[in-house]
Amino acid sequence: MTLAIETSGLTRRFGSVCAVEGLDLRVEAGKFYGFLGPNGAGKSTTIKMLTGLLAPTSGTMRLLDTDLGDPERARAIKQRIGVVPENLALFDNLTAREYLTFIGRMYLLPPDTVRARCQELLTMMDLAGEETKLTLEYSHGMKKKLALAAALLPDPDLLFLDEPFEGVDAVASRMLRDTLKSFVKRGATVFLTSHVLEIVEKLCTDVGIIAHGRLVQQVSMAEIHAAGTLEERFLAAVGDGQVEAQKLSWLED
Amino acid sequence: MYLQHLRTLLWLRWRLTRNQWRRGGQVNAILSLLVSILGLGLAVAGGVGGLLIGALALAKATPQATMFAWDGIVAVFLFVWLLGLVTEIQRSEVIDASRLMHLPVLLREVFFLNYAASHICLSLAIWVPTTLGLAFGLAVGRGAHQLWLVPLLLAFFFMVTAWTYCLRGWLAALMVNQRRRRAVIMGVTMFVVVLAQLPNLLMNVWRDDTRRVGAAVAHDSGKNAQVVRVCTLANRFAPPLWLPQGAQALQAGRVWPSLIATAGMGLLGLLGLARAYQLTRRFYQGDDRRKTAPPPVATPATKVVRGRLLVERTLPLVPEPAAAVACANLRSMLRAPEVKMALVANVVVFVILAGGIFLKHGAAVPPAGRPFIALAAACLTMLGLMQLLFNQFGFDRDGFRALVLLPAQRWHILLGKNISLLAISLPVFVVLLSLLTVSAHLGPAELLQACLGFCSVQLALGVLGNWLSILTPYRIAAGSLKPTKAKASSQVLMVVASMFMPLLLLPLFVPPLLGFLCNEFTKVPGTPITLLGAVVLLGCSCLLYGCTLKPLGRLLQRREQRILLAVTSEVE
Ligand SMILES: Nc1ncnc2c1ncn2[C@@H]1O[C@H](COP(=O)(O)OP(=O)(O)OP(=O)(O)O)[C@@H](O)[C@H]1O
Ligand SMILES: [Mg+2]
Repeated sequence: MTLAIETSGLTRRFGSVCAVEGLDLRVEAGKFYGFLGPNGAGKSTTIKMLTGLLAPTSGTMRLLDTDLGDPERARAIKQRIGVVPENLALFDNLTAREYLTFIGRMYLLPPDTVRARCQELLTMMDLAGEETKLTLEYSHGMKKKLALAAALLPDPDLLFLDEPFEGVDAVASRMLRDTLKSFVKRGATVFLTSHVLEIVEKLCTDVGIIAHGRLVQQVSMAEIHAAGTLEERFLAAVGDGQVEAQKLSWLED
Repeated sequence: MYLQHLRTLLWLRWRLTRNQWRRGGQVNAILSLLVSILGLGLAVAGGVGGLLIGALALAKATPQATMFAWDGIVAVFLFVWLLGLVTEIQRSEVIDASRLMHLPVLLREVFFLNYAASHICLSLAIWVPTTLGLAFGLAVGRGAHQLWLVPLLLAFFFMVTAWTYCLRGWLAALMVNQRRRRAVIMGVTMFVVVLAQLPNLLMNVWRDDTRRVGAAVAHDSGKNAQVVRVCTLANRFAPPLWLPQGAQALQAGRVWPSLIATAGMGLLGLLGLARAYQLTRRFYQGDDRRKTAPPPVATPATKVVRGRLLVERTLPLVPEPAAAVACANLRSMLRAPEVKMALVANVVVFVILAGGIFLKHGAAVPPAGRPFIALAAACLTMLGLMQLLFNQFGFDRDGFRALVLLPAQRWHILLGKNISLLAISLPVFVVLLSLLTVSAHLGPAELLQACLGFCSVQLALGVLGNWLSILTPYRIAAGSLKPTKAKASSQVLMVVASMFMPLLLLPLFVPPLLGFLCNEFTKVPGTPITLLGAVVLLGCSCLLYGCTLKPLGRLLQRREQRILLAVTSEVE
């Protein structure tokens, strides 16, 4: 089995804060991997390091059997990767079609393919009617959908999605889920973070749970289902004691 | 007004500033401190200087001379003030009220705090002590009644700042609409730029006239009296000139006119402040007076047929990713208001300035000077584009993240960026050159040489621009030219770079100099030498650009994460 993502000892510090500490991830190709964790656990930081947006403090990373230690190969492998980063990556002053066209050309797709895929993606994301709007005039959910479209456009082998369903309406969310499923069915790998455990439970084949920058669980969905639900597993992993203990003092009496 | 709110808001601002300094690091804190100390030093020097001048020189002047002196002071102050307005046309609030409006805070409190904070600027820090020093100097030299100048001055500054604040608030309100803000920024910048250039243009046009009529005026005291009459009239009716008017009266020993001027300017200031508050309220809380909703803007039906988009264009000989970057970058630059402002503020100034000067004096340029004049077009174009050239990633903001995520070769990205800048600089150059051609009667040889020079300068400065863009990127806020996130150290580097850039342009003038020397001191004709030199220079620039492009691409790749941090994070 080939590995789509492999890290060893991956660490990132911000000053004295250790956002990610000694992360050893192994994600097999063709898996739908859900990366879970409480707020501030280090999920986005991990994705940023894997996609080259942030330099790790130490540790090694391999994507699609390519070592990211070599900058030139790290750049070249981006050809096979699609990303929806935490804060998106849109140009304020382009329209959706222009932005997608630009991305398509940068991935060296033929012009006709770019056109056809743009049209399909815009229709799917329900953005085709917003031709005249610039992305800076988009709503939060619209921006997210555009970023998703841009990530899907080059038909990558590996998709990194940082909270793809956050802010997206139910229709688009449903379509996105179906798209991602067929993506994986064709052999691609999806690595996503989400706080919506129901969606993760329905979609993912494998789950990793991170807390305080350390990977605390890495199991397959089948194993989880054998022993209970994902929520139980998650709460057990990141400390469900809190749920009971903490009450607001002025609401008590 | 609740005292606790005020205290909390002040504390908030203090915390924001402190945290910002902490994040910026020691070097930046020290640099900021140095700038503050410099401002303080200038303020003290201005105050002492004003005191001495007032006590020793101005105290002995006639009332009319005093008025003219104050006229001059007001004119210079307003000019400097306007220049300050251009650089920061939008109001950047010290405390962003939109982040507080959901809290039980009165807008009034935030408004007054922000207005008070708008006084913290270098030009006021120098002008207020200087003019107050003058007033005290006059009081020492001429008697205590001159102290009435102090309220007069304060009323003057109050009026100016209140109306400035009002103007900026009005702009901010207009710019809520993203589309309209483009037009607004363009229009206003244009207006202010032309206004700021007015003295320059007038000087240029008038110098001739005065030279011509100077002799006549000398005997013709009637004409002189007329000038004085016009000035006096202006002083009576233009509010900012009520200050000189009042000062004149005080110099003549009359207090009442100055009191009236004080009251008048104070009232006008209050009016401006009230207007500003009204606008601010409307901006944050919606217009409560307009009951009927504005007519809905007709949205054009979605166009079904469309031609080829600008971002779809390919360029001959240019690698596909570079062409894609060039087209997309050009597309966004043509739309971005902040880029337009950079263009307007710099290019238009140069075009107006140079155009004015050359149209007036172009015919007087001797033939030997023409090759130099022709090159001026290339230099002025690049000087005007400096801000875009030296900070090519600062305008991308979040878009730069897309560039980092892309698989493209980094030198393709640099090349694309440079091509898109060329698409902007070329038309500017052509306009300037045509202007010069008409006014200075340039010949074909000079035109050719100017074009060669333009290519050289574009390439050579492209190298410098790429290098600086990679080393000192700073974020440009959407819709404003203010570098919101520049660290003090990169600001210093920016200033240094812009000071040395004219020096870097000097090699450009070597070929025409050689040609000139040949013409003067040898029998060899100068023109071929000049052209040959220009070709050699172009060859060198090409070589320089070609050799550095890939290494700079690698540098970009190494530093892209740091650039990303600089251009994406926003600090209050
Ligand atoms: N630029 C930064 N500077 C300093 N600390 C940072 C920075 N970015 C992230 N951190 C810290 O790193 C830790 C992990 O942050 P990260 O954004 O990866 O969390 P996350 O798991 O994505 O959380 P969320 O679910 O809320 O998105 C946090 O403690 C955060 O404070
Ligand atoms: Mg996150």
